[in-house]
Amino acid sequence: MANETYVLFELAGTTYALPSREVQHIEMLDHVTPVPNANPAVEGVIFSRGQVIPAMNLRMRFGFPREPHTLRTRVIVVDIHQRTVALIVDAAREFRAIPDNAIRSIDETLAGVDRNYLRGVATLNDRLILLLNLAAVLNHGGAGRMIDTARGLAAVPSSSTEAVHANP
Amino acid sequence: MKAKQKSKPTRTRSRQNHQLRDVAVRVVDSADQITRVIARVATGAETQNRSLDSAASQANQMTASLKETARQVESVAASSEEMASSINEVSASIEQVTANAASVASAISQTSVSIQQISASTSAVTDTTSEMAASAQELTTSAVEVAASVRRVTRDTDELVTSLNQTGTSIEQMNRSIQGVVTNADDLTAASEETSSAMNEMAASIEEVGAMSEGLASSVEETASSIEEMARSIQGVAQSGSKIAEAANNAATSATQMDRSSRSVAALAKHAEEITKRASHDAEAGGQTIQRSIEGIGKVATAMGSTTNAMRDLNKRTMEITGIVDTINVIAERTNLLSLNASIEAARAGDAGRGFAVVAEEIRNLADRCARATADIGQIVRALQESTRDATESANHNLRVAEDSNKQSESGLEGLRRILNSITEASTVVGQISRATEEQLVAGKHVSEAVSTTATEARQIAGATAEQAKGAGNIVKATAQMRKVSKEVAQAMGEHGRAAREVIKAAQNSNNIAIQLRRATTEQASGLSQIVQAVDSMRKGGASTSRALSEQATATEQVSKEAERLANLIAAVNRSMTEQSSGTAQISAATESVRQQAEQLSRAVAEQARGSKDLTTASQNVAKQIRLITQANTEHSLSAEQVLRSLLEIREVAGHNAQDAKSVQTTSEDLLMHSGELREIAGTRNGNGSSRGGRRPSLARRRDTVTNGSHLARS
Repeated sequence: MANETYVLFELAGTTYALPSREVQHIEMLDHVTPVPNANPAVEGVIFSRGQVIPAMNLRMRFGFPREPHTLRTRVIVVDIHQRTVALIVDAAREFRAIPDNAIRSIDETLAGVDRNYLRGVATLNDRLILLLNLAAVLNHGGAGRMIDTARGLAAVPSSSTEAVHANP
Repeated sequence: MKAKQKSKPTRTRSRQNHQLRDVAVRVVDSADQITRVIARVATGAETQNRSLDSAASQANQMTASLKETARQVESVAASSEEMASSINEVSASIEQVTANAASVASAISQTSVSIQQISASTSAVTDTTSEMAASAQELTTSAVEVAASVRRVTRDTDELVTSLNQTGTSIEQMNRSIQGVVTNADDLTAASEETSSAMNEMAASIEEVGAMSEGLASSVEETASSIEEMARSIQGVAQSGSKIAEAANNAATSATQMDRSSRSVAALAKHAEEITKRASHDAEAGGQTIQRSIEGIGKVATAMGSTTNAMRDLNKRTMEITGIVDTINVIAERTNLLSLNASIEAARAGDAGRGFAVVAEEIRNLADRCARATADIGQIVRALQESTRDATESANHNLRVAEDSNKQSESGLEGLRRILNSITEASTVVGQISRATEEQLVAGKHVSEAVSTTATEARQIAGATAEQAKGAGNIVKATAQMRKVSKEVAQAMGEHGRAAREVIKAAQNSNNIAIQLRRATTEQASGLSQIVQAVDSMRKGGASTSRALSEQATATEQVSKEAERLANLIAAVNRSMTEQSSGTAQISAATESVRQQAEQLSRAVAEQARGSKDLTTASQNVAKQIRLITQANTEHSLSAEQVLRSLLEIREVAGHNAQDAKSVQTTSEDLLMHSGELREIAGTRNGNGSSRGGRRPSLARRRDTVTNGSHLARS
């Protein structure tokens, strides 16, 4: 697979990329139902295509200040390790194929950065795009448990809890 | 001795007869002269009648012109009243002066109190003075007494002298009568017989002539007195005429002055009218301009309102556009989202979804372009909205400014309207004044015309009166001559009578001489007794002289007493005068305060008067002139009445004159006749009337002349 396709999204002025196979679909943010006693990064749950999905504000997750939602705010519904999670991002408007040779490992570029969140950095027409490591993002700092709690509240089967915990 | 005695009375008689004839001739000449004079009087009377007629017609014309003048003066007065009412409007503020006038009045009352004090002390002075006068009177009486006693002394002394003189004269008379007894006894008997018959005849004729000449003299006197009366009344006419002329001159001067002051009033009023007109014109122009600007401002405000409305509309539309743009944006976003999801699905489908992926890509591109375009639109709309907001704000500001200017313009217009109203009022008043002045001018012109007519008439009257006076002078001259002539006649008659009396006396003399002789002896005795009397009165005079001197002494004492009292009274007068001077000092203080009040008053009045001064003085002048004219007119009419009265008198007197002249004529005719008879008698007595034949025709001729003269006089 020399040219994998990515969904590009914006967060606090930076362009991130997610592999399109990990994305189930993208939605506009309609309504978030807050969940009591939840992790600050988890805004609540949303109802999408017949499913109740926990929604994580990626800005909060990455330590950026919260911003009010706009018309461009998007919810990216991802499937990873049999779990469906909704990521709230500033915008998601592009679908790109990024050649492998455009991707560089994070070691070469950013020393001292928590490498677990990123798989690499791509440069595309002088644009700098960060390739997100979704599994690391979701598992780090008890995020997965919180999501599971939210899912439990949403009466979703918690079969994948094991897998999340298995990841260090 | 007897012949000698007889010849002496005969010589005397012939001398007297000759004298009589001369006198008769002189009487005839005088009568002739009288008839000539009467003829002249008649012609003078005729001239006078003519000039009287012309004077009467002139007087009538003058009366007419006087009436005209009076009418004109009335109209002038009416227009002056109109003007006065206009001026009254102007002088409403004089009430302010009244307050000052009240204080002036109080000061004046103070003054009057002081003046009363003064008058009290003055009356005291007067009392003293009257006492003084009484004393002076007494003094005078005493002095008169002194004078009277002195005069008595003088008279007594005179009497003394007279008595002495009388004594001398009586002694002389005694001597003369004794001598007369000796000389006249011889001529005693012869004279009386011859003379008595002729004497009787002559005496009768002389009596008749005397009566005639007396009648003539009296009628001449009457004529003269009535002519003098006439001359006096002509003088009166002349005086009245000159008065009329003077009054007419005065009236003319007054009319000219009135005309001048009316003209100045008219000029002032005209100037004021022009100024008022100009001011009113300017104010109207200003009002129009302001009206236009108000209209413009209103238009601006309307335009501003519509602009604001348009702005609001625009804003609404941009809002709508914004909404639409938002909708489009939403649609674009959704489209983008859909195409993204489609791309994700296509990628998941692998090769089968490749074509779909391309389509999705295209759709996303379109959506992006659409989003960019809507973003542009949004930006533009935002800019537009901003501009609209700015425009609306400035439009609102403009609207406020326009409203402010509109308000200011309205108040300016209101002020102008008030000014215009005031100007209109002022111009109405000024118009009234100028109308009144014009009427006055016209009336004044009529007045001056009438006055000049009056002056012309008066001049003509003066001319006629001068002619009349000339005629009257002629008459007076003729009358004087007549008087002289009649006096000559009377003198001649007197001589005549004297001569006759001498004749009779000569006849009687012879009888008297004997009586004189006896009387002389008696006179001698009485003269002696007079001497005794004179000596007695001399003695009496000395006694009364001494009495008078003692009276003189007592009177002198009284005089000295009165002089003392006089000195006392003068001291009292001095005291009163001191009181008076203190009262005068008070008066001067009060007068000072009056003066101050008057100064305040005058200041107030001056301030006030400055505005309407010209107008008031001018109209006062006019009123004064009208008064003068009225006065002159009154004088005119008085004088005219006098003239008419005098003319009537003159006419009456002239009628008397004519009658008198007629009686003079008849009397002089009779006189002529009797003079002829007298001459005849004188000629008969003389024996040979040598000049009788020569004188008769001339007498007849004179009679013809007289009748001609009388015809002339009657015509």
